[in-house]
Amino acid sequence: MNAPTKDTRRSGTWICIATAAVAAVVYFAARGLLENPALRPPLRTVIALVPVPFFLFFLLTELRLMRRLDELERHIQLEALALAFPAVLLLLLTLGLVELATPLSPADWSYRHVWIYCLGFYGIGVAVARRRYQ
Amino acid sequence: MKNALRVLRAERNWSQADLAERLSVSRQTVNAIETEKYDPSLPLAFKIARLFGKLIEDVFEPEEPARVEREELET
Repeated sequence: MNAPTKDTRRSGTWICIATAAVAAVVYFAARGLLENPALRPPLRTVIALVPVPFFLFFLLTELRLMRRLDELERHIQLEALALAFPAVLLLLLTLGLVELATPLSPADWSYRHVWIYCLGFYGIGVAVARRRYQ
Repeated sequence: MKNALRVLRAERNWSQADLAERLSVSRQTVNAIETEKYDPSLPLAFKIARLFGKLIEDVFEPEEPARVEREELET
């Protein structure tokens, strides 16, 4: 099997970005709807689960893109995850302990706030790894 | 790992992008190998050697002599 060309890798990147953007739009739309207290269960639960297929589709396109990357880029992604995963674990463990020590406001420290740190740690990991091989 | 990639590429007047295209990798990968910041996988190392019509050990050289070579030097 031939290795993917630069063009197919580039188109894969754009497809991945597009699916991530669609998933983000659906997520924020669902979040916006759920902030309306007039909506009642089970409709609230249905709305909360609407983004799941979009996230799964993003996951599939992202995995497909990873398989198209060349070996250095895969190495960079691996190093980024090696930094991001323990960092997220550390954050969650620390938040868990802080929550036991003092009540954290759910308005600031809930699941819907912490995910951004996962992205942030991953971004830092990619930047650090990329810089190493420049 | 030391390598002669830059010299071999220059002999053929290829840019990093030309070489990257021939190897189906990114230009960044070629640059990282040339600057010895990244050691290629064995399949890629073989592909590079074949592309230049060389043996793998003519293109890549370990930083330290191999253990067998060291033992020979010591005896």
